[in-house]
Amino acid sequence: MTDTQDLKQRLKELLITGLRLQDVAPAGIADDQPIFVEGLGLDSIDALELVVLIEEHFGIAIPDEEVGKKAFASINALAEFIAAEQSRA
Amino acid sequence: MPSGPQVVVTGLGTVNALAGSVHEFATALRAGTCAIGPVTVFDTTGYRSRIAAEVPHELAEAPSGPGAALRRRLSRSDVFALRAAAEALADAGLPGDVAPERIGLALGGTTGGMLRGEASLRARIQGTRDRYPSAAVVGAPISASADVLADAFDVAGPRLSLSTACSSSANALGAALDWIALGRADVVVAGGTESLCRMTFAGFNALHALSLEPCRPFDRGRSGLSLGEGAAILVVESAEHAARRGARAHAELLAYGNSADAHHLTAPHPEGTGAILAMRRALERAGLEPDAIDYINAHGTGTPLNDAVEAAAIAAVFGDAAPHLAVSSTKGAVGHTLGAAGAIEALATILALRDGFLPPTVNLDDPDPACLLDLVPRTSRPAALRYALSNSYGFGGNNTSVVLGHA
Repeated sequence: MTDTQDLKQRLKELLITGLRLQDVAPAGIADDQPIFVEGLGLDSIDALELVVLIEEHFGIAIPDEEVGKKAFASINALAEFIAAEQSRA
Repeated sequence: MPSGPQVVVTGLGTVNALAGSVHEFATALRAGTCAIGPVTVFDTTGYRSRIAAEVPHELAEAPSGPGAALRRRLSRSDVFALRAAAEALADAGLPGDVAPERIGLALGGTTGGMLRGEASLRARIQGTRDRYPSAAVVGAPISASADVLADAFDVAGPRLSLSTACSSSANALGAALDWIALGRADVVVAGGTESLCRMTFAGFNALHALSLEPCRPFDRGRSGLSLGEGAAILVVESAEHAARRGARAHAELLAYGNSADAHHLTAPHPEGTGAILAMRRALERAGLEPDAIDYINAHGTGTPLNDAVEAAAIAAVFGDAAPHLAVSSTKGAVGHTLGAAGAIEALATILALRDGFLPPTVNLDDPDPACLLDLVPRTSRPAALRYALSNSYGFGGNNTSVVLGHA
């Protein structure tokens, strides 16, 4: 497993446990699937939760809605965002 | 004389320790079953009392159907409310063609999503990583269950979450009556929901108000109450509105009366002045003399003080008729469900009126001679009932009595 794949797997697990998703397995979340609304059905409360989870687990802050919207578009987007932030540090 | 339109109850729903449906509840009430047993939803190690009337695990799981989208966020109270409301609305044939803005919602409760919040705080104190999740914040307030119901069932009329301790959901029925009388809503979904939690359990335990054995209301040897949990929802509308849409009436909801003791934080007024006032106001608004009442579903918690004062208050209102008046407490069966008690006991009263029986005072073996009433010990009895009263008295001196009648 590459680092990227490993990160994506970790993010899927974090979504499921952190947001208490039911009847969803990591394998059931596609890398390019939208996370919010029509995708996994998450909403604005989940977004707040996810901001805190990312900060807790990766030490990366999501400063505003603009950044959040891009970062939370999909698992792919989130993994790219985290990798970029980590390489900047 | 009573004012306002005749108001009826056209839908019933419940989840409690005895039952997952109204039919099961009626059967268990008649059978005199006691649902009080060991607490499993949290650890009771170290408490004096370790029992309560807990809702069976499968009924505390989020239901499919309305509200399913919210299910991972639902508190235990929300789940009970959702299940009871789904049953009541289906029973009433709603929404049918009733506009969402004409359906009101009045829900009583005292602790909301407290149980989940306690688990998070506990984990935090113990150093386990369980940060208080945002979803638990949304589900924590007493108002949350009404929000969930409104969202799940598209109820867009007037909405109130009421918290007047153990009379909360009796006052929700009162709000429903008022809204119908004032024309604020055509239909009101009214009731209460409550989940066991450490705060109420530890609190009543510390006050030495919890019985070590299943509570025995009105028994000479009674030593306290047993907590319970669950929800009951009643669908309330004017008789005219019900007739127009072809809905069947389970019972008539005539009036309510409420009052405050303005006396003590936990103890009732020694002469029961508030309880007397609530019963008299309810009867007066119903346009009934005391002798019209065939049955009282008592607050009857099983604490030495409540039952003695309530019996004295009933004696004061009903005079010479009191010793022969059928009075029973449902709390020996389902425990004291606090914010849901008024609604669950109004439901028991409706079933008694509708099905023609006196629900027994479960666990009552040795009626207290100081409570000189027909206390219907242990075993239910068939009885044709015309009018009945349901009493609810809360900490802080919150008293509410509701008058119900055979449809």
